Amino acid sequence: MNRSAWLSVGAVFVVFLLAWKTIVLATGLQPFILPPPETVAIRFVGAWADGTIAPHLLTTLVEVALGFTVGAGLALVAGYALARSAVVERLLSPYLVAAQATPILALAPLFALWFGSGLLGKVVICALIVFFPVAVATMVGIRSVDARLLELGRSLRATRRQILTTLEIPAALPNILGGMRVGVTLAVVGAIVGEWAGADRGLGVLINLARGSLFDTPLMFAALLTIAIVGIALYLVVVAIERRLVGVR
Amino acid sequence: MTTLAPPVALAGTSGAVGLVGLDFAFPTRTGASHPVLDGIDLEIPGGGIVALIGPNGCGKSTLLRVIAGLLAPVAGDARLDGAPIDGPDPRIGLVFQEPRLLPWRSAAANITYPLELAGWPPARCAERLAALTGLVGLDPGVAASRPAELSGGTRQRVALARALALEPEVLLLDEPFSALDALTRERFDLELLRLWERSAKTIVMVTHSIPEAILVADRVVVMSPRPGRIVADVAVDLPRPRTIADLDQATVSRTAREIRAHLGDPEAAIEPEPELDPTASASRAPGRSSAEIAS
Repeated sequence: MNRSAWLSVGAVFVVFLLAWKTIVLATGLQPFILPPPETVAIRFVGAWADGTIAPHLLTTLVEVALGFTVGAGLALVAGYALARSAVVERLLSPYLVAAQATPILALAPLFALWFGSGLLGKVVICALIVFFPVAVATMVGIRSVDARLLELGRSLRATRRQILTTLEIPAALPNILGGMRVGVTLAVVGAIVGEWAGADRGLGVLINLARGSLFDTPLMFAALLTIAIVGIALYLVVVAIERRLVGVR
Repeated sequence: MTTLAPPVALAGTSGAVGLVGLDFAFPTRTGASHPVLDGIDLEIPGGGIVALIGPNGCGKSTLLRVIAGLLAPVAGDARLDGAPIDGPDPRIGLVFQEPRLLPWRSAAANITYPLELAGWPPARCAERLAALTGLVGLDPGVAASRPAELSGGTRQRVALARALALEPEVLLLDEPFSALDALTRERFDLELLRLWERSAKTIVMVTHSIPEAILVADRVVVMSPRPGRIVADVAVDLPRPRTIADLDQATVSRTAREIRAHLGDPEAAIEPEPELDPTASASRAPGRSSAEIAS
């Protein structure tokens, strides 16, 4: 982004903060219901300075990273199989859609029961929530590979593997990365929901603590802010990878 | 004159394409088959240039794909130097109607794509790339550009270089220049001839342009509407090397009229020129054996 683009982003953010402050002033809401932006900012800086947030953030990031890797990895394989085999699609897609349609919130306590309150349960939830968008994007991407390019590959006696690496993957990459953009933000949601259902550490746990036993609404907002920043950062990482791999076509 | 003899002197050495009693059909949904090519017999000597011409949907492109080994004939054989073609062969290069470049690769990486697939080491690829860009007259400055940044003509040059990458003996072209404007197309046709003069490849070109067919080919093979049969095999009596001025010769209009008559254009058959008389009678009865018409 150039300078004027950054300026406009900053300007919109300032408007957002002003609106927030105006609502607090106009409604006269207590800080434990809606704290004003400056209170949240002070709490945010304070919670970072005294080491309240960092360990929780680290736990959540590990869950998101592992869950995304596992979920997206499996989704790439499944998406390819769905695209290339009508049988696989017919047999698997009902389960795929059913798994996606079932609220993750309802499944989270079950997973906590099965996999315990440690890392594993969160990785499973993250993987599950990431799986669907990436699998569907991969399927669509592989299906949209130009049949004429595949014929070219055949005329040049490309092997199955060469077709995959030199034609199908590069052609499907924009779609796949689009699915990953969605998937990576969902992975954060998955981790928080998983932690909510039972964990000792993580940003979801911190929100629960701030809301319940600590009754520290500004801290809760600071935790939410951290989650939002994590989501934006991960999204931008995928966008950067996309720029690098896909570039201008 | 022997020194000026075109590479036809090499005829028969390699790159000879033979089609023997070739039938092709596409299966339909009901399980029946939809005939596309019917009893195609054609001999193309190594180093020869043949243009395939015919109405839309007559199976010209299908025939090209059978020779390229992309489609298997239902009956009969396609042969290269006497051996049946049973799949894509590195001795056969194919240029499609559209450039068909990989949009995510640079022009250079598109040209070396066949070499990469064949497992050539990068150093050898680079060497061959330099030779190929020279061969097809590609501006080396565009080597790093993506296909989307190139003009239609440049893209087709890249596609031609790619088809020549593995040094095929036979070059198959499926209406390769049909998307280009008339002037550019003539220039490409002539460049193709210059390339042929240097490399002695066998060329089979599908076209729907009679002037293009006459300018390029030794023989123009005329096909009937689907199911495609060969209705005429018209020899082009023009000396080589040819230039664009050759298109003004009387032979050309006579040959064009003959081809047009075989294509079933009634206007062409109405007023046969006197010297065309012996063949004109044959022209009115398409379906006669090609030998009769060409003699």
